[in-house]
This record gives sequence, structure tokens and C-alpha cells, in this order.
Amino acid sequence: MLDLDDELMERYQKGDEGAFTLLVRRHQQPLINFIARFINDRDNAEDLAQETFIRMFKAAHRYKPGRAQFKTWMYHIAKNLCKNEIRNRERRDKYRVDNVVNSGSEGHNDTEEIDLIANAPANPAFQPEVELERKELRNALQKAIAELPEQYRLPLVLRDLQGLSYDEISEVLELRSGTTKSRINRARLMLKDKLKPFI
Amino acid sequence: MNCQQAEEHFSAHFEDTLDYQTLQGFEEHLAACEACQQEYDRFQESVKAVQQLPQIEPSPYFMPTLLQRISEERSEIKGIKGTTATGWKQLVDVFRRPVWAFSGILALILAVTGTYLYQDGFLFDRDADSTVVTPASQKVQVATSPVVTRRAVGDGSQRLPGDVTRPSVRPLQQHYILKQVSYTNASTRGGL
Ligand SMILES: [Zn+2]
Repeated sequence: MLDLDDELMERYQKGDEGAFTLLVRRHQQPLINFIARFINDRDNAEDLAQETFIRMFKAAHRYKPGRAQFKTWMYHIAKNLCKNEIRNRERRDKYRVDNVVNSGSEGHNDTEEIDLIANAPANPAFQPEVELERKELRNALQKAIAELPEQYRLPLVLRDLQGLSYDEISEVLELRSGTTKSRINRARLMLKDKLKPFI
Repeated sequence: MNCQQAEEHFSAHFEDTLDYQTLQGFEEHLAACEACQQEYDRFQESVKAVQQLPQIEPSPYFMPTLLQRISEERSEIKGIKGTTATGWKQLVDVFRRPVWAFSGILALILAVTGTYLYQDGFLFDRDADSTVVTPASQKVQVATSPVVTRRAVGDGSQRLPGDVTRPSVRPLQQHYILKQVSYTNASTRGGL
């Protein structure tokens, strides 16, 4: 039986151009969230999400409904784009650091703290102290996730923030199910240790 | 079960996927080990905190920008399909006209007869074949294919203005085929 995504893809392949727009509407928010959490950068997340959808649009005629899930295909493309973005960023940072060292000027840590939840909806029962505590925990969480090594961060984000099943994560990351499970457990243990001052 | 083994089962216990035997071993260990009890409590707290992180809303520009880009891609794809379809249709339309259809059939008959006579050596000396290369023969070939036109122009620009030697038809044809293959490769490589 086809799920809604597959049905929409089939409709699009048969000439219903609005079906692809519906697919984008269904998946835009999870995709942007996944990318933002993975690369820890909200602004670039939207660009990469657009690029992901454009690539899917271009290759849509080759999609075989029922063989792979639209969702796992989307995350797979996004994951590769994110990895490229991270490599490029590392290269840029290295170049910048090298230049600073070579020019003899004082090095400074200019890694920005990006607030991924700045646009989160406001809590109606606003209590300043509770809110501050919550915000501190969120910031700490965000930082802790961003600091996880990529091979642990990816499956953790897909599981605990995107809600994918273990099988889906294994498909996106091309891992055996045992590896996926142990990486997610390891990632959660690492987070627990990083959050010691807060939890 | 020791502390390290218990830790390995934290996620499975949290998600309630342990088999009966492992579940028993895990719970027995936790009941006896205060350190693991505390760590497991903190583990659950931190997983829940991650799962409760608020979702980021897409900016209001996201959808309009994407739809614009998609429609550009769409018209690009349609543009390519459109030109090939029109070109083919025009060619077919030409031969729907009676005068052109008649001329086409006449030309075909002449060509078949010519080839037949030529192969039998009635009209031409076969040895002269490789040396007879006229500018006109090149022009005819150039006019039949747009790809050849492009390649032929390229070849012309590479030659010196005073150079009067002309390539034979055969090398030109080979050149054209090779170029076309590599062009096809290049255009498909750009995909995913
Ligand atoms: Zn223990």
C-alpha cells in the first residue's frame, strides 16, 4: 500500500504539478529543523533545505514509489549536502585561522552562539525564573548536540528530534541496524554527561 | 550484568524494547546499584529534554522562494522539451505539404538509383572517390545537421586564414561523432 508521500509523488509523475508543492509543504519544517540541528546554523539551514528540494524535484521522475520512502530519500540528500557544508566551513575556518596565525595578530574565538530557538513561540504562562532556567537548559542542550561528533550527532538528531524509526535511520545513514542502535545509545550517554551541571 | 552492560541497555529499556531475560537482568542490576540508578534517571531526563526542544518555524520567505526556484526549473525543463518537440513537428509538417512530399519521394528515388548505378561503377571511377572533396559537398553536410554546423565553424576558426587545404569528408564525420558522444556524456553527468 502506498503512503501519502508516495501517492503524491505518483500524482506528480503523472503531471499533477501541485502534488510536489504539497510534498514540500508537508516536509519543509522537519527538513529545516534537521539541517539546522545538524549544522547548528539556522540561516544556512533554509538554503540547504531549498537545495535539497530542488535536487529532489530534478530527480523526481526517477523516484520509484514503494521502493524507498520519500522521507528517507529527503534526509539522505540533506545529510550529504550538510556534510559538504560542514567540510567547506572547516576549510574556511582553517584558512582564516592560518591567516590570523601568519599575520601575527591576536587570535580570538569567534565561533558564534546561534540561537536556534529565538523564534520559538512564547509561553503563555510566562514565569521569568522558570523561563530563564528553561532557556539555559535549551542553550546547553543545543551546544551539547552541536559538540557531539558527527557520527553520533546525525543518528541522535534523526531519532530524538525528527522522530524517525531505527530502520529509517539505518536507511538514511546506510548503517546496519545494530550500529544505528548502539550509536544512538552512545550519543544519548554523551549528552547526559555534557548536561551534568543542568540535569 | 555489570554497570557497563547495564549502560548499553539504557536506550532499549527507555524505549521498552528489551527481551524478557535482558529486562530481568537490567532491573536486577539497577535495584542493586545506586550509581546506575542515578545515571539512568539522568539519562531519561536528558533524552526527554532533547525530544522537547522546540521546533524551528520556516521563515516566511522559504516557501515563496522555493516555489519560484521550482517554477524556474520547470520552465527550463519544459523549454528543452518544447524546442525538440517543435523542431520535429516542423519537419513533419513540411512533408505534409503535397509539393514537398512529391519532391521528397522524387529525391529518394534519384538517390536510390544513383547509389545503385554508382556501386556498379556505371557513372564514376571508384578510385577517384577519396580525392573528390569539393567545398559544395561540405556545405551540403553542414546544412543537414545543426551539430555539424557548430563543429564545422569551430574547425574553421582554428585554421589559419591562408590555409587552403581542406579536410576530407571522412575525418570530419569521425570528428563529429566523437564530439557528439562526449557532449552527451557531459550533459548527463550533471545529474544527481
Ligand atoms: Zn551499576
